[in-house]
Amino acid sequence: MFTKQMISSEIPMLMSKACEIFIQELTFRAWMHAEKNNKSIVQPCDVAKVIMQTDTMNFLTEIIPNNLGDFSVFDAKEENIANIAEENEVSLSFTAGFMGNPMMKMDSEENAGNIVEGNQATLPYTSGFMGNPMNMMNMDNVRMK
Amino acid sequence: MAESDNESGGHTGNASGSNEFSGCREQDRFLPIANVSRIMKKALPANAKISKEAKETVQECVSEFISFITGEASDKCQKEKRKTINGDDLLWAMTTLGFEEYVEPLKVYLHKYRELEGEKTAMMGRPHERDEGYGHATPMMIMMGHQQQQHQGHVYGSGTTTGSASSARTR
Repeated sequence: MFTKQMISSEIPMLMSKACEIFIQELTFRAWMHAEKNNKSIVQPCDVAKVIMQTDTMNFLTEIIPNNLGDFSVFDAKEENIANIAEENEVSLSFTAGFMGNPMMKMDSEENAGNIVEGNQATLPYTSGFMGNPMNMMNMDNVRMK
Repeated sequence: MAESDNESGGHTGNASGSNEFSGCREQDRFLPIANVSRIMKKALPANAKISKEAKETVQECVSEFISFITGEASDKCQKEKRKTINGDDLLWAMTTLGFEEYVEPLKVYLHKYRELEGEKTAMMGRPHERDEGYGHATPMMIMMGHQQQQHQGHVYGSGTTTGSASSARTR
Protein backbone atom coordinates (compact mmCIF):
# COMPACT_ATOMS: atom_id res chain seq x y z
CA MET A 1 0.00 0.00 0.00
CA PHE A 2 1.02 3.61 -0.39
CA THR A 3 0.47 6.75 1.61
CA LYS A 4 -2.51 8.75 0.44
CA GLN A 5 -1.36 11.83 -1.45
CA MET A 6 -3.30 14.79 -2.75
CA ILE A 7 -2.65 17.25 -5.55
CA SER A 8 -3.11 21.00 -5.58
CA SER A 9 -5.60 22.56 -7.95
CA GLU A 10 -2.75 23.62 -10.24
CA ILE A 11 -1.58 20.10 -11.04
CA PRO A 12 -4.24 19.02 -13.58
CA MET A 13 -3.89 22.28 -15.49
CA LEU A 14 -0.06 22.21 -15.44
CA MET A 15 0.17 18.53 -16.39
CA SER A 16 -2.34 18.95 -19.22
CA LYS A 17 -0.25 21.73 -20.73
CA ALA A 18 2.97 19.77 -20.22
CA CYS A 19 1.41 16.81 -22.04
CA GLU A 20 0.47 19.03 -24.97
CA ILE A 21 4.05 20.29 -25.27
CA PHE A 22 5.40 16.73 -24.95
CA ILE A 23 3.05 15.35 -27.62
CA GLN A 24 3.93 18.13 -30.04
CA GLU A 25 7.69 17.76 -29.50
CA LEU A 26 7.55 13.99 -29.99
CA THR A 27 5.33 14.31 -33.06
CA PHE A 28 7.44 17.02 -34.69
CA ARG A 29 10.65 15.02 -34.25
CA ALA A 30 8.96 11.89 -35.62
CA TRP A 31 7.76 13.84 -38.65
CA MET A 32 11.28 15.18 -39.24
CA HIS A 33 12.51 11.58 -39.23
CA ALA A 34 9.80 10.51 -41.68
CA GLU A 35 10.64 13.43 -43.98
CA LYS A 36 14.33 12.54 -43.90
CA ASN A 37 13.42 9.12 -45.29
CA ASN A 38 11.09 10.53 -47.95
CA LYS A 39 7.97 9.18 -46.27
CA SER A 40 4.69 11.09 -46.32
CA ILE A 41 3.07 9.31 -43.35
CA VAL A 42 4.41 9.27 -39.79
CA GLN A 43 4.71 5.66 -38.58
CA PRO A 44 5.42 4.09 -35.17
CA CYS A 45 8.99 3.35 -36.24
CA ASP A 46 9.55 7.10 -36.68
CA VAL A 47 8.41 7.64 -33.10
CA ALA A 48 10.63 4.74 -32.01
CA LYS A 49 13.68 6.28 -33.70
CA VAL A 50 13.07 9.59 -31.92
CA ILE A 51 12.86 7.80 -28.58
CA MET A 52 16.11 5.95 -29.20
CA GLN A 53 17.94 9.04 -30.48
CA THR A 54 16.75 11.59 -27.89
CA ASP A 55 18.25 11.36 -24.40
CA THR A 56 15.28 12.92 -22.60
CA MET A 57 12.98 10.32 -24.19
CA ASN A 58 14.94 7.32 -22.90
CA PHE A 59 12.31 6.61 -20.25
CA LEU A 60 10.07 5.44 -23.11
CA THR A 61 12.36 2.69 -24.43
CA GLU A 62 10.38 -0.01 -22.60
CA ILE A 63 7.30 0.89 -24.63
CA ILE A 64 8.98 0.53 -28.01
CA PRO A 65 9.66 -3.21 -28.46
CA ASN A 66 5.95 -4.00 -28.64
CA ASN A 67 5.41 -1.55 -31.47
CA LEU A 68 8.59 -2.42 -33.31
CA GLY A 69 7.65 -6.09 -33.11
CA ASP A 70 4.40 -5.33 -34.90
CA PHE A 71 6.30 -3.58 -37.68
CA SER A 72 9.44 -5.71 -37.91
CA VAL A 73 9.19 -6.12 -41.70
CA PHE A 74 8.46 -2.45 -42.29
CA ASP A 75 11.25 -1.50 -39.93
CA ALA A 76 13.71 -3.58 -41.95
CA LYS A 77 12.64 -1.79 -45.12
CA GLU A 78 12.92 1.52 -43.31
CA GLU A 79 16.50 0.73 -42.33
CA ASN A 80 17.32 -0.13 -45.95
CA ILE A 81 15.89 3.20 -47.01
CA ALA A 82 18.02 4.89 -44.38
CA ASN A 83 21.12 3.16 -45.77
CA ILE A 84 20.28 4.32 -49.29
CA ALA A 85 19.81 7.84 -47.96
CA GLU A 86 23.23 7.69 -46.35
CA GLU A 87 24.75 6.51 -49.64
CA ASN A 88 23.12 9.44 -51.37
CA GLU A 89 24.69 11.74 -48.83
CA VAL A 90 28.09 10.18 -49.53
CA SER A 91 27.55 10.59 -53.27
CA LEU A 92 26.62 14.19 -52.72
CA SER A 93 29.86 14.79 -50.85
CA PHE A 94 31.80 13.14 -53.68
CA THR A 95 30.01 15.29 -56.23
CA ALA A 96 30.86 18.38 -54.26
CA GLY A 97 34.49 17.30 -54.19
CA PHE A 98 34.43 16.69 -57.94
CA MET A 99 32.93 20.08 -58.59
CA GLY A 100 35.75 21.57 -56.57
CA ASN A 101 38.40 20.28 -58.98
CA PRO A 102 37.65 22.71 -61.84
CA MET A 103 37.82 25.55 -59.37
CA MET A 104 41.19 24.29 -58.22
CA LYS A 105 42.35 24.16 -61.84
CA MET A 106 41.16 27.72 -62.32
CA ASP A 107 43.08 28.68 -59.25
CA SER A 108 46.17 27.04 -60.66
CA GLU A 109 45.77 28.87 -63.96
CA GLU A 110 45.31 32.13 -62.14
CA ASN A 111 48.38 31.41 -60.10
CA ALA A 112 50.34 30.68 -63.27
CA GLY A 113 49.06 33.90 -64.78
CA ASN A 114 50.05 35.84 -61.71
CA ILE A 115 53.53 34.37 -61.84
CA VAL A 116 53.92 35.31 -65.50
CA GLU A 117 52.61 38.81 -64.87
CA GLY A 118 54.94 39.10 -61.93
CA ASN A 119 57.91 38.25 -64.06
CA GLN A 120 56.88 40.71 -66.73
CA ALA A 121 56.33 43.42 -64.19
CA THR A 122 59.68 42.78 -62.55
CA LEU A 123 61.73 42.66 -65.77
CA PRO A 124 61.10 46.25 -67.00
CA TYR A 125 61.84 47.63 -63.57
CA THR A 126 65.10 45.72 -63.38
CA SER A 127 66.10 46.77 -66.91
CA GLY A 128 65.24 50.38 -66.24
CA PHE A 129 67.21 50.44 -63.07
CA MET A 130 70.30 48.90 -64.65
CA GLY A 131 70.11 50.87 -67.88
CA ASN A 132 71.21 54.42 -68.64
CA PRO A 133 68.75 57.24 -69.47
CA MET A 134 68.94 56.54 -73.20
CA ASN A 135 67.87 52.94 -72.66
CA MET A 136 64.94 54.15 -70.62
CA MET A 137 63.90 56.38 -73.54
CA ASN A 138 64.13 53.37 -75.80
CA MET A 139 61.85 51.44 -73.47
CA ASP A 140 59.28 54.20 -73.64
CA ASN A 141 59.43 54.10 -77.43
CA VAL A 142 58.91 50.38 -77.43
CA ARG A 143 55.87 50.74 -75.18
CA MET A 144 54.37 53.43 -77.41
CA LYS A 145 54.78 51.23 -80.44
CA MET B 1 -12.60 25.46 -3.97
CA ALA B 2 -9.19 24.04 -3.04
CA GLU B 3 -10.67 21.50 -0.64
CA SER B 4 -13.13 20.34 -3.25
CA ASP B 5 -10.32 19.85 -5.75
CA ASN B 6 -8.24 17.86 -3.30
CA GLU B 7 -11.14 15.60 -2.37
CA SER B 8 -11.91 15.03 -6.02
CA GLY B 9 -8.28 14.09 -6.65
CA GLY B 10 -8.27 11.66 -3.76
CA HIS B 11 -11.47 10.04 -4.91
CA THR B 12 -10.17 9.60 -8.43
CA GLY B 13 -7.03 8.02 -7.02
CA ASN B 14 -9.08 5.46 -5.14
CA ALA B 15 -11.13 4.70 -8.23
CA SER B 16 -7.97 4.19 -10.25
CA GLY B 17 -6.55 1.88 -7.59
CA SER B 18 -9.75 -0.11 -7.67
CA ASN B 19 -9.55 -0.40 -11.44
CA GLU B 20 -6.01 -1.65 -11.23
CA PHE B 21 -7.02 -4.52 -8.96
CA SER B 22 -9.84 -5.59 -11.24
CA GLY B 23 -7.81 -5.15 -14.43
CA CYS B 24 -7.21 -1.88 -16.26
CA ARG B 25 -9.66 -0.83 -18.90
CA GLU B 26 -8.19 0.57 -22.09
CA GLN B 27 -9.98 3.90 -21.74
CA ASP B 28 -8.63 4.32 -18.21
CA ARG B 29 -4.98 3.70 -19.09
CA PHE B 30 -4.60 6.21 -21.92
CA LEU B 31 -5.70 9.69 -22.87
CA PRO B 32 -8.46 9.80 -25.51
CA ILE B 33 -6.96 9.08 -28.95
CA ALA B 34 -8.96 11.89 -30.60
CA ASN B 35 -7.48 14.52 -28.29
CA VAL B 36 -3.96 13.15 -28.73
CA SER B 37 -4.47 13.13 -32.49
CA ARG B 38 -5.64 16.75 -32.57
CA ILE B 39 -2.61 17.91 -30.56
CA MET B 40 -0.28 15.92 -32.84
CA LYS B 41 -1.74 17.59 -35.92
CA LYS B 42 -1.10 21.04 -34.43
CA ALA B 43 2.63 20.26 -34.47
CA LEU B 44 2.75 19.46 -38.19
CA PRO B 45 1.96 21.20 -41.49
CA ALA B 46 -1.49 20.62 -42.98
CA ASN B 47 -0.29 18.16 -45.62
CA ALA B 48 1.42 15.85 -43.11
CA LYS B 49 -0.21 12.51 -42.40
CA ILE B 50 -0.05 10.38 -39.26
CA SER B 51 -0.84 6.67 -39.23
CA LYS B 52 -3.31 5.34 -36.69
CA GLU B 53 -0.57 3.18 -35.20
CA ALA B 54 1.68 6.20 -34.70
CA LYS B 55 -1.14 7.96 -32.84
CA GLU B 56 -1.51 4.93 -30.58
CA THR B 57 2.24 4.88 -29.94
CA VAL B 58 2.21 8.53 -28.86
CA GLN B 59 -0.91 7.84 -26.79
CA GLU B 60 1.06 5.27 -24.79
CA CYS B 61 4.10 7.54 -24.58
CA VAL B 62 2.20 10.46 -23.08
CA SER B 63 0.71 8.25 -20.34
CA GLU B 64 4.22 7.07 -19.53
CA PHE B 65 5.33 10.72 -19.48
CA ILE B 66 2.65 11.53 -16.90
CA SER B 67 3.68 8.62 -14.68
CA PHE B 68 7.35 9.54 -15.08
CA ILE B 69 6.92 13.19 -14.03
CA THR B 70 4.31 12.72 -11.32
CA GLY B 71 6.18 9.74 -9.86
CA GLU B 72 9.26 11.90 -9.38
CA ALA B 73 7.21 14.76 -7.90
CA SER B 74 5.42 12.31 -5.61
CA ASP B 75 8.71 10.87 -4.33
CA LYS B 76 9.94 14.39 -3.53
CA CYS B 77 6.81 15.16 -1.52
CA GLN B 78 7.08 11.93 0.44
CA LYS B 79 10.71 12.62 1.33
CA GLU B 80 9.72 16.07 2.56
CA LYS B 81 6.76 14.65 4.51
CA ARG B 82 4.23 16.67 2.55
CA LYS B 83 0.88 15.22 1.50
CA THR B 84 0.00 17.56 -1.34
CA ILE B 85 1.90 17.72 -4.63
CA ASN B 86 1.99 21.32 -5.84
CA GLY B 87 2.95 23.04 -9.07
CA ASP B 88 6.52 23.73 -7.98
CA ASP B 89 7.08 20.02 -7.30
CA LEU B 90 5.94 19.25 -10.82
CA LEU B 91 8.23 21.88 -12.35
CA TRP B 92 11.15 20.63 -10.23
CA ALA B 93 10.53 17.07 -11.43
CA MET B 94 10.58 18.17 -15.07
CA THR B 95 13.90 19.95 -14.57
CA THR B 96 15.36 16.91 -12.83
CA LEU B 97 14.21 14.53 -15.56
CA GLY B 98 15.54 16.54 -18.50
CA PHE B 99 12.48 18.55 -19.50
CA GLU B 100 13.77 21.91 -18.28
CA GLU B 101 12.73 23.51 -21.56
CA TYR B 102 9.09 22.91 -20.59
CA VAL B 103 9.39 24.84 -17.32
CA GLU B 104 9.49 28.40 -18.67
CA PRO B 105 6.37 28.13 -20.90
CA LEU B 106 4.54 26.38 -18.08
CA LYS B 107 5.41 29.17 -15.65
CA VAL B 108 3.96 31.71 -18.08
CA TYR B 109 0.86 29.55 -18.46
CA LEU B 110 0.54 29.13 -14.67
CA HIS B 111 0.87 32.88 -14.14
CA LYS B 112 -1.96 33.60 -16.57
CA TYR B 113 -4.05 30.84 -15.00
CA ARG B 114 -3.64 32.37 -11.55
CA GLU B 115 -4.64 35.79 -12.89
CA LEU B 116 -7.82 34.25 -14.26
CA GLU B 117 -8.50 32.43 -11.00
CA GLY B 118 -8.11 35.71 -9.13
CA GLU B 119 -10.67 37.39 -11.36
CA LYS B 120 -13.10 34.52 -10.94
CA THR B 121 -12.79 34.59 -7.15
CA ALA B 122 -13.29 38.34 -7.11
CA MET B 123 -16.45 38.04 -9.18
CA MET B 124 -17.89 35.31 -6.98
CA GLY B 125 -17.06 37.20 -3.80
CA ARG B 126 -18.79 40.43 -4.79
CA PRO B 127 -22.49 40.00 -5.63
CA HIS B 128 -22.99 43.73 -6.05
CA GLU B 129 -20.27 43.81 -8.68
CA ARG B 130 -22.16 41.20 -10.61
CA ASP B 131 -25.13 43.57 -10.60
CA GLU B 132 -22.91 46.24 -12.04
CA GLY B 133 -21.55 43.78 -14.57
CA TYR B 134 -25.03 43.04 -15.84
CA GLY B 135 -24.82 46.20 -17.91
CA HIS B 136 -21.92 44.68 -19.93
CA ALA B 137 -23.50 41.50 -21.23
CA THR B 138 -20.95 40.73 -23.93
CA PRO B 139 -17.78 40.78 -21.77
CA MET B 140 -19.64 38.75 -19.15
CA MET B 141 -20.57 36.07 -21.65
CA ILE B 142 -17.01 35.92 -22.98
CA MET B 143 -15.68 35.51 -19.45
CA MET B 144 -18.15 32.74 -18.66
CA GLY B 145 -17.23 30.91 -21.85
CA HIS B 146 -13.55 31.09 -20.96
CA GLN B 147 -14.24 29.76 -17.47
CA GLN B 148 -16.14 26.82 -18.92
CA GLN B 149 -13.14 25.91 -21.05
CA GLN B 150 -10.86 26.06 -18.03
CA HIS B 151 -13.27 23.94 -16.04
CA GLN B 152 -13.38 21.25 -18.72
CA GLY B 153 -9.60 21.12 -18.88
CA HIS B 154 -9.46 20.87 -15.13
CA VAL B 155 -11.77 17.86 -14.83
CA TYR B 156 -10.12 16.12 -17.77
CA GLY B 157 -6.57 16.45 -16.48
CA SER B 158 -7.43 15.60 -12.90
CA GLY B 159 -8.55 12.05 -13.59
CA THR B 160 -5.62 11.24 -15.81
CA THR B 161 -2.98 12.68 -13.54
CA THR B 162 -4.15 10.94 -10.39
CA GLY B 163 -4.61 7.62 -12.14
CA SER B 164 -1.13 7.73 -13.59
CA ALA B 165 0.34 8.80 -10.27
CA SER B 166 -1.19 5.71 -8.68
CA SER B 167 0.34 3.55 -11.38
CA ALA B 168 3.72 5.11 -10.72
CA ARG B 169 3.48 4.50 -6.99
CA THR B 170 2.42 0.90 -7.49
CA ARG B 171 5.33 0.23 -9.82
